[in-house]
Amino acid sequence: MGDAGSEGGQMKDRLKILPPSLREKERYVKFKVLSEEPINYSDLEAAVWNIFLDFHGEVGVSGLSLWLIKNRWDGRNQTGVVKCNNMSVQKVVAGLGVISRLGDSRVIFKILKVSGTIKGLK
Amino acid sequence: MFIIMNCFDLHVHSAFSGGESSLEQLAETAKQLGYSGICFVFYYQDEKQKDILLAEVERIGKKTGIETYLGFEARSLKELNFLAKKRKSFDILLARGGELELNRAACETPEVDVLTHPEYLRNDSGLDHVCVKLAAKNGVAVEMNFREITIASKSTRSKVLANIARNIRLVKKYHAPVVLCSGAISHWELKDPECLMSMAVQLGLELKDAKKSVSEIPRKIIEKVKERRGKKWVMPGVRVVK
Repeated sequence: MGDAGSEGGQMKDRLKILPPSLREKERYVKFKVLSEEPINYSDLEAAVWNIFLDFHGEVGVSGLSLWLIKNRWDGRNQTGVVKCNNMSVQKVVAGLGVISRLGDSRVIFKILKVSGTIKGLK
Repeated sequence: MFIIMNCFDLHVHSAFSGGESSLEQLAETAKQLGYSGICFVFYYQDEKQKDILLAEVERIGKKTGIETYLGFEARSLKELNFLAKKRKSFDILLARGGELELNRAACETPEVDVLTHPEYLRNDSGLDHVCVKLAAKNGVAVEMNFREITIASKSTRSKVLANIARNIRLVKKYHAPVVLCSGAISHWELKDPECLMSMAVQLGLELKDAKKSVSEIPRKIIEKVKERRGKKWVMPGVRVVK
């Protein structure tokens, strides 16, 4: 006999989806990396997390809901998208501005657009 | 979000003034980042050097299609007084902050346009309420220098941020102008104006004031410069009406 919320004898490992009013409002920041040499995603990810943890601290970063979206990284145009919540866009942009090196290459981050949906970035 | 027009960076060093990049590289990168104009900052040597730089800055401006300005940064009181007398012959006069005496003198001198990084190499913020009141009265803009933040790390960076935040608090209180500059010595140190604004917001400036600090206030400084170079200008507060 199955319990309420179980599926095939196992407990469902998923939370209920929050109602829209309780969900965090998202923002997507599209940026372009101007660099001496082409940048790869792993360098970018490492630098973003390191700098953000340095600059904002662990508690600060926990409040950003920061996520670098891997499948939105365009290696050819060197553009990417970082996700955060609507209250921390300024913190994320300031943090990106602090990044001056990725690996051995000097870089500048140019903010292209900020949107509430990924679709809106196009 | 905050796409803004007409942004200016009034503090950029080139290979002519201890930097690494050429004027052209700096102007091209600034254009790519969306700036309408930048001010190349030099250290004054003599009239001949000034004339060469003026011609070169103008040439770069025409070539790249953004507004370029010639600025001189005074590093001592003597230099500040000398450049204040020659005020009409170049665009922007900056005073290199850091020394209390020079910070104070810059705030007292209406010919000065920008007091750069007043907290430079100091443990304190380099400005008190008296200086900021004077800066507000004389229209001297206090700079928030982004390079100070990026070159420091850990505890030094936290001190720099605290000092800048203190200056911003005073500037807000006395309504003195603030400008946000990259302070770049290489074209790789130039920053997107939105990053400058966001950093200023983190340090206590309101978003609308941060926008003004990269666009409206530098524009006003430039307009003042143009007026100053006109035939009617005699000295701060005095001009020929008829």
